[in-house]
Amino acid sequence: MAAGGAGGNSGKTYSFKVVLLGEGCVGKTSLVLRYCENKFNDKHITTLQASFLTKKLNITGKRVNLAIWDTAGQERFHALGPIYYRDSNGAILVYDITDEDSFQKVKNWVKELRKMLGNEICLCIVGNKVDLDKDRHVSVEEAESYSESVGAKHYHTSAKLNKGIEELFLDLCKRMMETAQAEERLKGNGASQSASSRRGVQIVDDEPQATPAGGCCSSG
Amino acid sequence: MKSGRKIFKHCKAFTESMVGKRYMGADEMSEYVQDFYQHMSEHLETQLSCSSDHAQDVMDDVEKYVMTRLYRSVFSSETTDDEKKDLAIQRRIKELHWVTTEMLGSPLDEESLEVSDHLLKAIIDLSEMDLKQVPKDKLRCMTSCSKHVFNAIKAETKKIGSADDFLPTLIYIVLKTNPPRLISNIQYIIRFGNSMKLMSGEDEYYFTTLCCVVNFIENLNAQSLKLSSEQFERYMSGQAPPHRPKTNGASSSGSAALSQVNTRLVQLKELEERQGCVMENAGQMKGDLIDFTDELEMQDLISTTVIGSASHSAIDSDIIENELLPQPLQPWVLY
Repeated sequence: MAAGGAGGNSGKTYSFKVVLLGEGCVGKTSLVLRYCENKFNDKHITTLQASFLTKKLNITGKRVNLAIWDTAGQERFHALGPIYYRDSNGAILVYDITDEDSFQKVKNWVKELRKMLGNEICLCIVGNKVDLDKDRHVSVEEAESYSESVGAKHYHTSAKLNKGIEELFLDLCKRMMETAQAEERLKGNGASQSASSRRGVQIVDDEPQATPAGGCCSSG
Repeated sequence: MKSGRKIFKHCKAFTESMVGKRYMGADEMSEYVQDFYQHMSEHLETQLSCSSDHAQDVMDDVEKYVMTRLYRSVFSSETTDDEKKDLAIQRRIKELHWVTTEMLGSPLDEESLEVSDHLLKAIIDLSEMDLKQVPKDKLRCMTSCSKHVFNAIKAETKKIGSADDFLPTLIYIVLKTNPPRLISNIQYIIRFGNSMKLMSGEDEYYFTTLCCVVNFIENLNAQSLKLSSEQFERYMSGQAPPHRPKTNGASSSGSAALSQVNTRLVQLKELEERQGCVMENAGQMKGDLIDFTDELEMQDLISTTVIGSASHSAIDSDIIENELLPQPLQPWVLY
């Protein structure tokens, strides 16, 4: 998975792809719009769409570019999932705490993601709409113990009240950075740059470096 | 700039080396090109220490140069079955002409005039994808098409579109457009696009959605449109007429149609004016070209004459009788 962590020096920037999965009405759109635009009400939002959003972060002095890919949550598009989440570094699986079904859907996705992408992907399971706690249909204990059992982290959020969202994304970024760094170390131990020059395409500067300065064609 | 010339030299050498590999399989060609991109971007960042933004810009130009030259030999190449697949999906889309936005679960009302303009623009952009030669330019067409789709969604629902709205609407657009050489274009972008390895930008997101659309259309069945299998068969076999949404009354649809005709008339008039403009400019350019060739011929003539006269004088100097000629006139010195 070379998609993610570009470079390990503090000067480099990490680029991460995160997919957003969840059934139709669980509020995943509100969640990302709250995070990227800090808006809940549609009227004030400047972006044209909420299906691809980006966010730049600075975590312990390192720059992180986050690209958040929304996926269509309808059942009829379920089979298209793998095309969307290919090469992603993280996945945010959203369910509505008042909707038991939406939690079942999350479980299906987790199984699929683990099968397709293994343990390299950082999973976050998110119970959204905690402002509607009185109508809760998914118990906290069940959600948390399930998440732990599949190696995912569980979060409670409310896009409406702006609760838990910053923490969710910050935490996810830190975990993705750790994964990327571990991967780099692994790569560093092996033969360096194994991928290159397998085809013999090489960029070599064969020209002598000592070209005198101030030639006639120094087009500036 | 010195490094710029070097990059150019590398690109040129690479494309020339690829010409000899024309009959190689598409995947192998793609590997060569992707390797070249990777080496080039490493070269930019490590040896020329470009910032990553700048390197990205340079890589866009590298892709443009390389792929403009390779396009004809690698697009829908004979070593692949892209062309066959193009025809298959084209036929499939034709068979599905009766599918409505409602069946797909898109929020759009296809008869609504507010959205039809946006949809038309989306259709135009999607069909223009085939005209571009550089992968990045093809991706840009797709992105522009997607923006129009979101505008349509916003016009209809007054909300910001998410993937839940976007994907079904894009399926509808692809069905209405039936884009030329769809599979060839997708494969070309995957094989020879420079950004295809990272797959994290906005262009790549829309492109991925297009891939999802194709997958959906290929595997579409009664269930995916929430129809019974009998209904689906009736539509597919043409026994059931394509669904036509009921209009409220003849008069309202009539006036709507009339206003649409009027806007089209205005557009046509604009087009006519623009065409006149183009013709005028073309005429002027033709004149300029003629003048230019005349001038060139003139210059040719002058240069040959100059050389000619020089050689004449040389011949003159050899004539011995020169000595017999009277002395040239000398100026009189008066004071």
